[in-house]
Amino acid sequence: MSTTLPLVPSLPLALRGKLADVVGDDHLITDPDRLLVYESDGLTQYRFSPSAVILPGSAAELQEAVRILHLEGRAFVARGAGTGLSGGALATGGAVVIGTARLNRILEVDPANRLARVEPGVVNTELTRVTRPHGLIYAPDPSSQSACTLGGNVAENSGGPHCLKYGVTSRYVQALTVILPDGRSARLEGASRGWRGPDWIGLFVGSEGCFGVVTEIEVGLIPEPAGVRTLLGIFDSLEGAGRAVTAIISSGILPAALEIVDQETIRAVEASVFAAGYPTDAGAALVVELDGVEEGLDAELELAATCVRDEGASEVRIAQSDEERTALWAGRKRAFGAMGRIAPDLLVQDATVPRSRLPAVLRRIGEIGDRYDLTIANVFHAGDGNLHPNLLFDRNDAEELARVEAASREIMEVCIEVGGTITGEHGVGIDKRGYMERVLSPEVLHAMSEVRSALDPFGLCNPGKVLPDELPARAELPNEPLPALDAGPIEVESDRHAAALLAAASREGVSVVIGGARSSGAPPGPHLRLSARGLRGVIDHSPPDLTVTVGAGTPVGELQEALLASTQWFPLDPPGGGATTIGQVLAGGLDGPLCTGYGRLRDHLLGATLVTGEGRVLELGGRVVKNVAGFDLLRLTVGSRGALGLITRLTLRLFPLPAVDRTLVWTIEDPLEAARIGMRMAATGSPVAALEWIAGEFGGESPSDGRLPVGALVAARLHGNRPSVEAMARTLEAAAGVGPRVLEGEESAGWWERRARREGTGAVSTVVSTLASRAESVAEATHRWVDLGGRASLHLVGGGVRLDLDPAGERAVDRARALLDEVARAGGVTPAPSPELSGVLGVFDPAGILPGRWRESWS
Amino acid sequence: MELRAALEEQKDRLGHCVHCGFCLPVCPTYIQLGDEADSPRGRLHLMRAVVEGRLEPESDAYQLHLDRCLGCRACETVCPSGVEYGFLLERARALAVEARRPPLPVRLLPALMARDGARSVALGMGRVIRGTGIPETMAGRLPTTGLWGRVGLAMGMLASSRPSRLDAGSDAGKAKTRPRNDPPSRGRVAMLTGCVQSGLFAHVNRATRTVLEANGWEVVEVTGQGCCGALHAHSGRLDQARELARVNVSAFTAAGVDHVISNAAGCGALLRESGELLEDEAAEAMAKSVRDISELLAGEGREPVRGAPLPLKVAYDPPCHLHHAQRVTTSPLRLLESIPELELVPIPGAEECCGGAGIYGITHQDLGGRVGRRKTDAILTTGCDVVATGNPGCQMQIGAGLLAAGERIRVVHPVELLAESYRRAGWS
Ligand SMILES: Cc1cc2nc3c(=O)[nH]c(=O)nc-3n(C[C@H](O)[C@H](O)[C@H](O)COP(=O)(O)OP(=O)(O)OC[C@H]3O[C@@H](n4cnc5c(N)ncnc54)[C@H](O)[C@@H]3O)c2cc1C
Ligand code: SF4
Ligand code: SF4
Repeated sequence: MSTTLPLVPSLPLALRGKLADVVGDDHLITDPDRLLVYESDGLTQYRFSPSAVILPGSAAELQEAVRILHLEGRAFVARGAGTGLSGGALATGGAVVIGTARLNRILEVDPANRLARVEPGVVNTELTRVTRPHGLIYAPDPSSQSACTLGGNVAENSGGPHCLKYGVTSRYVQALTVILPDGRSARLEGASRGWRGPDWIGLFVGSEGCFGVVTEIEVGLIPEPAGVRTLLGIFDSLEGAGRAVTAIISSGILPAALEIVDQETIRAVEASVFAAGYPTDAGAALVVELDGVEEGLDAELELAATCVRDEGASEVRIAQSDEERTALWAGRKRAFGAMGRIAPDLLVQDATVPRSRLPAVLRRIGEIGDRYDLTIANVFHAGDGNLHPNLLFDRNDAEELARVEAASREIMEVCIEVGGTITGEHGVGIDKRGYMERVLSPEVLHAMSEVRSALDPFGLCNPGKVLPDELPARAELPNEPLPALDAGPIEVESDRHAAALLAAASREGVSVVIGGARSSGAPPGPHLRLSARGLRGVIDHSPPDLTVTVGAGTPVGELQEALLASTQWFPLDPPGGGATTIGQVLAGGLDGPLCTGYGRLRDHLLGATLVTGEGRVLELGGRVVKNVAGFDLLRLTVGSRGALGLITRLTLRLFPLPAVDRTLVWTIEDPLEAARIGMRMAATGSPVAALEWIAGEFGGESPSDGRLPVGALVAARLHGNRPSVEAMARTLEAAAGVGPRVLEGEESAGWWERRARREGTGAVSTVVSTLASRAESVAEATHRWVDLGGRASLHLVGGGVRLDLDPAGERAVDRARALLDEVARAGGVTPAPSPELSGVLGVFDPAGILPGRWRESWS
Repeated sequence: MELRAALEEQKDRLGHCVHCGFCLPVCPTYIQLGDEADSPRGRLHLMRAVVEGRLEPESDAYQLHLDRCLGCRACETVCPSGVEYGFLLERARALAVEARRPPLPVRLLPALMARDGARSVALGMGRVIRGTGIPETMAGRLPTTGLWGRVGLAMGMLASSRPSRLDAGSDAGKAKTRPRNDPPSRGRVAMLTGCVQSGLFAHVNRATRTVLEANGWEVVEVTGQGCCGALHAHSGRLDQARELARVNVSAFTAAGVDHVISNAAGCGALLRESGELLEDEAAEAMAKSVRDISELLAGEGREPVRGAPLPLKVAYDPPCHLHHAQRVTTSPLRLLESIPELELVPIPGAEECCGGAGIYGITHQDLGGRVGRRKTDAILTTGCDVVATGNPGCQMQIGAGLLAAGERIRVVHPVELLAESYRRAGWS
């Protein structure tokens, strides 16, 4: 484990000169003594000194430096604050470190659109410090947030205690500028910027610095929750605390954070100078934090406290002030530092298991500790099933070190055995490469390796990380004959079936279309048409884990129906409503109004099975809520429109059904006034589930006399407990100045379903990305579309307008096209050109038979 | 090597560092340079490398990066592992100066301060030059780099040490009620008069005495006291520092007072740490009785007597050796809040070092200047009339920065404001 590489190849003089010319002498470090401080990151088991460190002062300098290093064939690695816990930023093989400390400017904060644009060296908390006066925060909050950089967060896809409710880094990144390993610059944008294609951002986030160096990051911000409540439960046993977590989750609450510390940790903290006042004889302590609309919190707190008491807590403390809140958190937040005080060395593991398996896994970790005679202290994000067992030891005791290594391996095995993974948030880096084969199939490892080679053919960018040096052998491709073409779509029956068909098509060079013609158009010439419609139904639903695995051909409505009995659901209202299949939503990158409050499907996608164009079966992701084992090929499938292959099933994270589902509808004669009212509502920062400006004829709302409707609707969907829904309703009504029509329960859900069914059905049907702050001008342009007989629905938070129209005649089509341009102009979003990353697609589709290759653009 | 052994003895303390990096973003030199070798974690790593025998104390790396440390100890406040950076730095510096003799100007000042005679002559000359008004005129007119830059800074610092007239509101409205002529006696205290403080800031010492007495403390003269030795300890001259500390410990112990009071953050921090420095019980006992003036007046549940209104907009800048080293954070604010009509305005990033750090601005002109300008800029965003800070070095550094920026904002010690409020009330 302890690895030192004493001999570092020094930098040739000529190269030194070139780099100094770019960054300046002061920002190039080559003295080996000075370089010593870069030999480790937050994980001190490994020491690798770089051959040089450069500290560029601008993105342009950084790009030029990468270009030079690429030409010289020199390996390099980006480094943020060096707080990583997997050795990700270490310079193996004498690589050059590119430090981002000087790239620490916050370039723009755009409160109206809840966006911030930053350089990669900006420290996580610094961003929130700057945005907080606008009532906005950057949600992902790794425990290291006071020090780690956003560049590092993007590279590791970092999470934190509050990610239980708010999600990890990947959910918030809207655009990236990356200097690719060869020195080219690529601008990657997400769906909110008009990008329609594979989720490049998803692929780059969590790539651990192996796909290039990020120089600019655009992130979404969220309104700061109006209220917060914190509760500490003291338990005699760890099991009790674990059961309380399950009880809270099943009660329908979605806490902001659920954190547990075990007895060993409590003792460590209390024995240190940071004593937090937790009783040392306690078996475990559970911190529950709830946030959201102030009015709803007391009821939630009551419910949570009841769960905690019912599961046998010996004591429940509730914070009454900010100071008390800090005190309750202290035992959790100071755990890492406190352990540094009681043991010379510390090994932090980072495994994730399905939440329902936590008690069993913890028991077994305890047994492993006993067997190896080691102190293992557990700190974990209990809501996510993300464990951090801390193994305490003294590195000078070789025999103890050996026991630590063996115990550590056994812990990993236990987690893997129950369907968990080897890293939930710290990344693979150098440290966990050896475990990769245990959690990922040879097929997936090969695919990851090929994607990396496509982006970094010379292996210069952060080499020696993430993937093992030797990959296990992969299976032979199926070798079955190609079926007759043009015999209509073939309904795929299984992974094997799909693999055989795609392998055959690849072999014969026959184009393939997946899904209906609507989603991908038709290729020239004879082709094979595959459909996932037959892969229908729930495969596995685990209510205590809030996860479900479904066939890609399952209609959304059918999924919701199946979940109902457990009072869970998946918040999704795509165009086409309940009839749209989950696979279509994924591949099409579709979303609906609910993405405002819940995020998009990509944000809750835990796993999927992809049969590639080449005919390989890739099991991507898994069943756990947090998973950063390897590159995020899973996210790449989102919006890929059949370019990678056929998706056969998906695993999703579910939500408890809200206690109250209420919709408020305002009908307003002047569509522009409606947009203004809607913007005022958005500005309240209320955590609405959906908030839309809707115009044109649609399900149930058009007047019966056949005339086109006038005006527009503003519709808000509110989810939560009764007091919070009522408080939100009051806030919105005050912002509107007039009273709405109120629908509740089934009526509310039904209203949105009828509306969704009409979406995506027009002969011309598209989404135009727009800035939320431009809602008024977008409404103006859109209303001309409505005059033409179209329908439109605009997200008032986040922006984006969906437009449908059945034009009568050629002229109307031309007019519609012109109007679309007008809407786009009004929306103020200019999508960046498609990045040149076609090599990555070639990994999945080497023969070029899928739409990603034969189609020219992603429209 | 005896000193290396001393650092080696600190292996445990070094080992407390878990390499988490939490200290990076608060370190002024890391903020400016972005090089981890100029961060607390980096410096600790270099110390560890020396202990492990992987790095020589005379190496450029060890010398350069330890020398560049401001000793502000902001890193200690945020460290989740409680690494005693200040303590380690003093030992590490001792090793550094043993390995390589520092340049003359760096050696000069501590030598001067350790000798009573030389010190009074030098400070006396300072007062004379200050009295001519030349420093004030020169500061801000000289180039900011090179030798003239150093002279300009020195002049600015000198100019900033003079007593300030506080023009605010009318002086006429003397309080109608006299203060309690003899407030109930709270106890006996001794004041560390300090070398720079008594030489250039006699007015601060006078103000301290005034406010102490007005609040019922009996101030005992302690004659045998001398320079506290902070400057020596910080620059790695531990033996000299110990010698000086011994003098003070015996003088203050003999005085038999309830508290030893300091009005200079750097000196107070050293007094408080004399137990660790001397490793003896008398020193430990004396150290426990040390209080900063603000703590004695407005800490531990006490409230200063209220004087007459002083309608000023005041920005408080916490000296590092008060905020980070002594962890005295709220009592200076409470003290200022007790003054009627005084408006406190927060300085963004107040807990960051001003770059004073002894003669850092002279020895590390460029870096010190950059750190200082960050502070000046932050102060200028507040729109304050006066800056208050409880350390002579900071008073001079911030004052010089403001003068160089062409600003006439005065920098005073918080007790000067309190004393002025009492003066206006007609109590002194
Ligand atoms: C006490 C402690 C608590 C922690 N708690 C959490 C937690 O709660 N959740 C969590 O997720 N993590 C946690 N971490 C781990 C760590 O803080 C995160 O992984 C963090 O995102 C790393 O950021 P950094 O700036 O320090 O990156 P570094 O450690 O410097 O680098 C990490 C990786 O990012 C790459 N990288 C950095 N900048 C760029 C860039 N501009 N472009 C491309 N690649 C780049 C590096 O090459 C490296 O592979 C914790 C660490 C510590 C020490
Ligand atoms: S904060 Fe403390 S433990 Fe962390 S790196 Fe700095 S000195 Fe070490
Ligand atoms: S004392 Fe100040 S300058 Fe020195 S390492 Fe700590 S924070 Fe940085």
